[in-house]
Amino acid sequence: MRVSWLRVRVRRGVHRSPLLQIGLVVGFWLAGEGIAKLTGLPVPGGVIGMLLVLALLATRRVSAHSLRRGAEWFIGSMVLFFVPAVMALLDHRELLGLLGLKILAVIVGGTVAVMLVTGLIVDLCTRWGARDAAAHASGD
Amino acid sequence: MPQLMPAGIDLTLQALFWSTATIALYLAARAVYRRWPRWWLMPLAIAPLGLILTALALHTSYRDYSRGTHWLVSLLGPATVAFAVPIYQRRALIRRHWRVLATGMVLGSATSMLTAWGLARLLGLSDTLTLSLLPRSMSTPFAMTVSSEIGGAPDLTAVFVIVTGVVGAAIGDVLLLRFPIRSSLALGALLGVAAHGAGTAKAHEIGQEEGAVAGLVMVLVGLFNVLLVPLLMMAQKLVSHGV
Repeated sequence: MRVSWLRVRVRRGVHRSPLLQIGLVVGFWLAGEGIAKLTGLPVPGGVIGMLLVLALLATRRVSAHSLRRGAEWFIGSMVLFFVPAVMALLDHRELLGLLGLKILAVIVGGTVAVMLVTGLIVDLCTRWGARDAAAHASGD
Repeated sequence: MPQLMPAGIDLTLQALFWSTATIALYLAARAVYRRWPRWWLMPLAIAPLGLILTALALHTSYRDYSRGTHWLVSLLGPATVAFAVPIYQRRALIRRHWRVLATGMVLGSATSMLTAWGLARLLGLSDTLTLSLLPRSMSTPFAMTVSSEIGGAPDLTAVFVIVTGVVGAAIGDVLLLRFPIRSSLALGALLGVAAHGAGTAKAHEIGQEEGAVAGLVMVLVGLFNVLLVPLLMMAQKLVSHGV
């Protein structure tokens, strides 16, 4: 009795406190890092942590409520974690001139191409899929 | 401003200063963007610009800066873990469309690598720069892993990843309406494949479904490439040694 009462209290606390949820997300990340180090897999620890959480959510060992707010906080602040990486430009002044413009051209051209290819493929496949489904439905 | 940051200043103080400056500039940039949501006012563009100008004014090197702020970059790890939640919440959508999404993802990331390689060759960029550009569409932790495996420079790749994010969000703002693409599945997928986290943030601005698809695709593209590259490298080694 006592143990289950405690478990309910803990669960309720985690559901209510974003701070505890942030800690929980960090805990899963550290677990992922540990697994990556122990096994020597070429996969970032964060990814292993994510797969771990997905597995726990899918088997209902962890409920999405006890992670949702912490996860939203991390996803919402992600841009901040990117910002310091740009400062590597300080060590690469050579990229600030013509070379930088060339690289920008590669990135802009490549990004437009990737967007068009991905978008058109997904759109066409969905349309074909819908037509196939319709044909099957009318054929039956 | 040499009086403000003397050379022998305590390392802890310096770390504290740069961490605070980074967070403060980010929060200010975010407030500006909430008020005026234009792509060129994106926090991802404005905050680094302000920081670089500050660092140049204070004569701070990248090494000094990154020593104090590395903990912020490592928070990308738990941010990756966090994507499990929206992916799990949209599992029905994903189960229904996984074949289409996988096709778009594989061909999209092949296009990303091929265009980077082709354009870089065309413009005569060096091998290191070319290799560092290949994984630019992926999310930072994946991109840096791939870059170091194929022989690029991971710190340059991190910069290219962010430039790609800004470019992708800008195209999402300016050009996307002229593309003949409307379905939320396609919009989410193209933003996730082409522009990782920044594209996913843009997709969340367009709609919830677009955001969830982009977040999933972003993680899957990274995973796919991180797992694929060691296999390709092994194959290449076998071919070059075998013949």
